[in-house]
Amino acid sequence: MVLGTYKNAVSARATDKAIQKVSQDGGIVTALLSYALEEKIIEGAVVAGPSETPWKPEPLVALTSDEIISAAGTKYTFSPNVWALKEAVRSYGLEKVGTVAIPCQLQGIRKTQSYPFATRFVADKIKLIVGIFCMENFPYASLQTLINEKLNSSLSLTEKMDIGKGKFWSYTQDEELALPLKDTHGYEQAGCNICKDYTAELSDVSTGSVGSADGWSTVLTRTDAGESIFTKAVDAGIIETKDIADVKPGLPLLEKLSNSKKTKADAEIKSRIELGLPVPF
Amino acid sequence: MSERIVISPTSRQEGHAELVMEVDDEGIVTKGRYFSITPVRGLEKMVSGKAPETAPVLCQRICGVCPVPHTLASVEALDDSLDIDVPRAGQLLRELTLCASNVNSHAIHHFLVATDFVPEELFATAVDSVSEIRKVTQYVVDMVAGEGIHPSDVRIGGMAQNISELARKKLYSRLKALVPKVNAHVDLIISLVEDGIVIDGERQPIPKGLGAIDQPVFASDRIYGNRDFFDFDRFTEIMPESWYDDPEIGKRACSTIPLYDGVNVEAGPRARAAKFGGYTGKGVVAQHVTRAHEMKSYLSRAIEILDELNTSAPTLADFDIRGTGKIGVGAIEAPRGLDIHLAQVKDGKTQFYSALVPTTWNIPTMGPATEGFHHEYGAHVIRAYDPCLSCATHVMVVDDEDKSVVKDEMVKI
Repeated sequence: MVLGTYKNAVSARATDKAIQKVSQDGGIVTALLSYALEEKIIEGAVVAGPSETPWKPEPLVALTSDEIISAAGTKYTFSPNVWALKEAVRSYGLEKVGTVAIPCQLQGIRKTQSYPFATRFVADKIKLIVGIFCMENFPYASLQTLINEKLNSSLSLTEKMDIGKGKFWSYTQDEELALPLKDTHGYEQAGCNICKDYTAELSDVSTGSVGSADGWSTVLTRTDAGESIFTKAVDAGIIETKDIADVKPGLPLLEKLSNSKKTKADAEIKSRIELGLPVPF
Repeated sequence: MSERIVISPTSRQEGHAELVMEVDDEGIVTKGRYFSITPVRGLEKMVSGKAPETAPVLCQRICGVCPVPHTLASVEALDDSLDIDVPRAGQLLRELTLCASNVNSHAIHHFLVATDFVPEELFATAVDSVSEIRKVTQYVVDMVAGEGIHPSDVRIGGMAQNISELARKKLYSRLKALVPKVNAHVDLIISLVEDGIVIDGERQPIPKGLGAIDQPVFASDRIYGNRDFFDFDRFTEIMPESWYDDPEIGKRACSTIPLYDGVNVEAGPRARAAKFGGYTGKGVVAQHVTRAHEMKSYLSRAIEILDELNTSAPTLADFDIRGTGKIGVGAIEAPRGLDIHLAQVKDGKTQFYSALVPTTWNIPTMGPATEGFHHEYGAHVIRAYDPCLSCATHVMVVDDEDKSVVKDEMVKI
């Protein structure tokens, strides 16, 4: 299946205005992790928190909803959340951990769960993983190049970044800057080019903007744990949903992008093998 | 007519050792010699010339039974050599790690001696009790020191990080809940020891005075360890050849004989109880009883620490890695006795490293402790002292000129 195994697909957004204000799209990651924390489904979550350097996230072991909200919004560079999972279980003492992860991180996390080498008594404590749709991710130096050099702006002035409608967007207090996506190619992490997972297929619940209207997110519930938490959050009024069939562009666009990532990755994998380069799968 | 009884290797202990007993016509031991036959690993040589941070990481791998005391003794020695004052919270977390680890280690020993004392109908109860205690105490080490077996967060200068307030509360409530279980466990072990040992399927009372010795006790502290106790000038180390009066044994023994004030000493739970608790019992029963009682002391100290710990306080001191050239002493009261590591850091590298470890102190003492009783008690006496040979093995003779190993017969089992 092009979108991986999933139970239900909906278009959704957080009902809390405070979350809507800071979130990237529908605020699903923030709303779900906060809800799970308040309902004691998890005791804390490893999220991509702010650091001292603008737009360079740092894993944060969040123990309150406020801390989770402080990490809202997409950062287009890597936050090594997997690294902090062990710390969350050890010195933070969490026995039920939630986290947010992109597809490559999910592969690592699921691998620790099937073979907990060096993650003894850690992997079994991960109770909720919210996955994010991801086409590619930029090293921090690439973000500096895109924003500082190509858009002639500055990361410290940037208030929000986004990818949509074929462009990479940067919003400052008074400007809306856009860069065609083709100009960003070559700046992504090299591994992204052989990654075949667009929709975070190994997560409990995955979410992203593609398929839904502005301010809303497309959500795929994948596991029993993910389905159960999402349904409870909807029943509790934390999240509102729309039938994905009524939404434009809906799942067809998601499927198209997912297919295109798989096809491109297959081609790249083939070419790397021909060149004798190592390919992990 | 004198006969020689040899138990090789002695069983249900960590590492390999041999017990050689000369017995008279009645089978009474007239001369007991106990010595290590565990191969030399040479960790002290491996850490020399390397960055000081290497030492605790390698030395904790001296043994899988006592990784925590070795890590602590190693960082304490390096702290001393580098003149570091460890922050209060870091010191408390180190002590908490040791308390939990020592309870765990004592519980393991109870498992090792279970077949000597525990009747069949109580066996499952005793093993469950050991498992439950180990599970909780290892959880404490996991959380406080980062990893249960080879702790990653015990660092030169303190501890890598503090625990969260949530972790502190969790550990506090779990250890509180463990108190009645440990109390029941200790009562069970003591009552079984008092009932006697099972020899050839029959339970018999432990003879009065079995395993008792009159050597000085060697203990620095009731719980954690105190480097001020160890006086270098009173310490000597001799080769096994000059200690054992049998040249063959002297040749095969793999550990040096450490002496304090020129004599062999007794280290471990009974030594600590005698020095700091006024305990007067001696021998096999006393070893088992004081070991069991220590579990309670460690547990209550661990709870006290969790009560006092400020989870927002710093745990790691800044330090100058270049070093002073001073020989630092790290002294930790490990389950089986005082674990002393000596380290000297100069020009940013470990120049000298030596470990005088718990069982080394007891090796020359345990053999004579078998004397005066029937040889069938020999192995029981040794087990009561709970030797752990892996770390105790330190002899290798190399040629001064070309550094080749002159004696390799001692590394063969």
